[in-house]
Amino acid sequence: MTEEWSLAPGHVPSALMMVLFGLCVVVALVEAGFAFARRAATVPRRTALVVLALRLLAVAAIFAITFELTLRFDRVAPDTRRVVVLADRSASMAIPDAPDRETATTSRQARMEDAWAAAAEARAAWREDGLVVDVRGFDGATHPYSGEIAETLATRPDGAASDLAAAIASAADDGTHPGEQLAAVVVLSDGLVGGADEDAATKHLVDVAKRLGTPVTTVSLGAPILKDIAVADVRAGEFAFVENVAEFEATIIAHGLAGQPITVELRRNGEKVGESALRLRGDGVAQPVRFEVAPDRVGQFVYEIVVPPRDGEATLLNNSRAFVVKVLRDKVRVLHVAGRPDWDVRALRTILRRDPNVELLSYYILRGFDDIAREDTDALSLIPFPVEELFEQELGSFDLVILHNFDAVPHQVAQYVDNIAQFVEEGGALVLIGGDLGFSDGGYGTPAMQSLLPIDLRRPVSVDRVRFRPKLTEAGRRHPITGWLLAGDGRGWEALPELDTFNLVALADRSEALSATTLLAHPSAVDRQGRPRPLLAVSEPGRGRVVTLATGSTWRLGFAPDLTLVDGARPYDLLWLGVVRWLLRDDSSGRLQLETDKPRYREGERIELRAKTLTAAYAPEADVALTWRVLPLAAETAADADASASEPNPVRKGEWTTDDLGRAEVTLQELDAGAYAAVAVRAADDGSADSGESVHEARRVFIVEPPGRELARIDADPGIARLRELADATGGVFVDPLAGGVLPTDLPLGEPKEHSPSQGRVQARRELALWGGPGALVVLVLAFGAEWFLRRRHGGT
Amino acid sequence: MLRRMSAAAGWVAAGLAIPARARASAAPSDPAPWLLPEDVPAISIDLPQLRYDGHWAPRPGAMRVLARELRLRTRLEPVAEPTTVEADDDALFDTPFLYVAGDEGLPKLGRGGEARLRQFLDLGGLAVFDAADGGTDLAFTRSVEDLLSRISPASELGPVARDHVLFRSFYLVDAPVGRTSTVDHLLAIQEEGRIKALLMRNDMGGALAETADGRVAHPCVPGGAEQRQWAIRLGVNVLLYATCTDYKADRAHVETLLRARRWR
Repeated sequence: MTEEWSLAPGHVPSALMMVLFGLCVVVALVEAGFAFARRAATVPRRTALVVLALRLLAVAAIFAITFELTLRFDRVAPDTRRVVVLADRSASMAIPDAPDRETATTSRQARMEDAWAAAAEARAAWREDGLVVDVRGFDGATHPYSGEIAETLATRPDGAASDLAAAIASAADDGTHPGEQLAAVVVLSDGLVGGADEDAATKHLVDVAKRLGTPVTTVSLGAPILKDIAVADVRAGEFAFVENVAEFEATIIAHGLAGQPITVELRRNGEKVGESALRLRGDGVAQPVRFEVAPDRVGQFVYEIVVPPRDGEATLLNNSRAFVVKVLRDKVRVLHVAGRPDWDVRALRTILRRDPNVELLSYYILRGFDDIAREDTDALSLIPFPVEELFEQELGSFDLVILHNFDAVPHQVAQYVDNIAQFVEEGGALVLIGGDLGFSDGGYGTPAMQSLLPIDLRRPVSVDRVRFRPKLTEAGRRHPITGWLLAGDGRGWEALPELDTFNLVALADRSEALSATTLLAHPSAVDRQGRPRPLLAVSEPGRGRVVTLATGSTWRLGFAPDLTLVDGARPYDLLWLGVVRWLLRDDSSGRLQLETDKPRYREGERIELRAKTLTAAYAPEADVALTWRVLPLAAETAADADASASEPNPVRKGEWTTDDLGRAEVTLQELDAGAYAAVAVRAADDGSADSGESVHEARRVFIVEPPGRELARIDADPGIARLRELADATGGVFVDPLAGGVLPTDLPLGEPKEHSPSQGRVQARRELALWGGPGALVVLVLAFGAEWFLRRRHGGT
Repeated sequence: MLRRMSAAAGWVAAGLAIPARARASAAPSDPAPWLLPEDVPAISIDLPQLRYDGHWAPRPGAMRVLARELRLRTRLEPVAEPTTVEADDDALFDTPFLYVAGDEGLPKLGRGGEARLRQFLDLGGLAVFDAADGGTDLAFTRSVEDLLSRISPASELGPVARDHVLFRSFYLVDAPVGRTSTVDHLLAIQEEGRIKALLMRNDMGGALAETADGRVAHPCVPGGAEQRQWAIRLGVNVLLYATCTDYKADRAHVETLLRARRWR
């Protein structure tokens, strides 16, 4: 222990003041020097020296006062040195492996604890040499160990990553151990630091360690023999498109199972959708497996690539890898067939053509049978109507079929009506629009088609030409196709133009079984049962959707004098955009939208769940009450498959009220690893139970990942080589416990840095303020006073 | 090219449809008594002509003839007697089509009339201006240009390209002839590919018009009867374009569209 003193300023004046002060000091000292040098012969030298000393003392006093000088006395202890021990706590340390096939497997964590216990003697020797042993655990971050854990290293290895480079770099940080020089680093690990590029990872690690300038001794805890199959990584896009082939590729790595056949499965929301057979090759050989899928519907899905577990596998946590794919609709393929050109066809074509997301294929019957023999056909631009190609061969390639005032019988389409029915059952969307031709020949009255339609078309239907304004039904008030009619001034159709044609249709007998709903009805016409005749009706047979419209005059909703706009949009556009979106189950058509900030999270990460509500005219809607819940996806899927099963218990739930911008959010924490579905529900506008999926419920899936990525590659060999290279590159020692190696008592240490007065550990400090109190001022006054007295006495100036 | 595309006009539809129709009418025991399309009164469309203070009908009956030809040649069902309408009349919006003829400068239609016409075009209507002078006088043409510059100031009147779908919406028409063939092009205001207003300078109405006893009212120069046929065909094309817009432009891509995607 030594004592060191120093002067410390308490105040530093501004630059200008410093200059002025300096000038004054210089003048005072120069003057004193001149006075001393040119003193009179009668002035004793001793007296002149005293006068000069008094001047210097006065200047010093002024200096002390101006800079508030403090005299510091530090008791400094010499620097100590420390050894940083980094113990791996990542998930790969739980892997059981063995040095050979005859030996039973042991977990790497257990091997680490044994190696640390075996190094007790060495650790004692380090302490005797004055080394401080600083024990830390590392995974994705570094964690200080103390007490029993520092003595035994007994922890649960579950870290999701192994960032050894960051841990080594942080070893130099002596913020918590000031004055303790880093002498050595000891790493106990399996060396698997993650990443597919082993060489790059090793190079980076060695570079970081070399910059530290300290020997790194490594203890290798992995062993070459293990049994495991892993889905090492997956390559899949975030998005896929309905009816477009999407490719998912995975890499399978196995150990100890060479030659064995396995079946790799692709699952969607827990259900198998594909499989691929594979014969495993040698240890650590990466084998690709590919799946091609063509999603059949839009939505967000959790896909999973799964390999079957084998007895005795080192870990099952890497037997599957899940990922979220959002399936979007590519361009919507719409087939628009019209029986006759007219203004209604024109209006619908215009709006469909305007939508860049619509791929429109149109066939309009431009000539009647009476017209055929009249013309020189070379002058015509017409082509035959490819009935078989459209309704037999290519029908399934469309998303939406619109039969617009189309008489199926004369054009040989009646024989394909059952194909159209099947198309709808299998998920297609169909619109039937009336007029003078469409419902007039009974062509849509086959049993197969009639079982899908909300209206009865078994008999030809006549057309009424009296102008009318339709009536919005209770269901229509809530439905996304017609709910917008209540927007604006709320007068509904009263503010809109009259229609001038109406096909006198009735609801189908099976309408209830189909969940058929009338959204708009004729204001006065009723069927034989007294029910209002439907103008716009919808049904949802099988996996498809159907809209029937018993008029060919909706074009008037977009072409009228002083046309009322609803939230800035033409009523015609709102009606037909709503029809198309509902038919195609467009997520964005929903008045309730739900999102998470990411599709995939690590365990412990915060999950942001956000909702947005829209009015019927798709403007933000404030003060909407919502409920939300988060369910395990497996439980939700099982409940969906079993109608008798009870609602699965949510792991989280709550309530929201949207803000002025129609938004609400919540942060979820501490969800266990797994796939989840978040669901938000809004009550109907009249407070009744939900009556339509897109209006009242929104759903999102997300994944909380287990540390599978850390376990993607668990082969110890690359880790062993890496640790050996790390030790060799830094002058440390490579210790292999499996070969009997133990940590050395004479650990390789780095060269100590030279001690300087400003370094070392200050054990105690004493301060004496030279400027405080009257002392300095008294010294100043006495010094100047005495100098003046002596000068006067000896006649000096 | 379009002619080649349509060369396979071996009327499969007709060939199949005629037996189908025969089957339908020869099947009295059918459980469902089918109504043939012609048994149900067709929903007609109007071809209204603008009525204004001036010589608004230089070719009387032209629209009646066009309506007849459309009924005979196409599946369109125009009314037998097209109506007339004034610019400031709400009835202007009964049909998104308007025929305007004249052989002298158009008079001012008044602020109300022009506002209605502007709304008519903006909401998707098609106005067809037909210069009865046949290209020999610019009074009507210039007045139409002035009118359009006021009611559709953001768009300019420009020539319609020869490959525009208007020339192949039903017939394959090479030249926009009318009673005359003086001007070899049509002028139009187009917006986002849609023709809002069309100016025909070769007197289409003159080619269509007939006397009371059904004879041609005005000989077509220089092509005579054949030129009249082409003028009628152009008129048919205009109405097929009015009702089907650019439908015929789809057809060029049909093969690609049909083979683009996988199955459901």
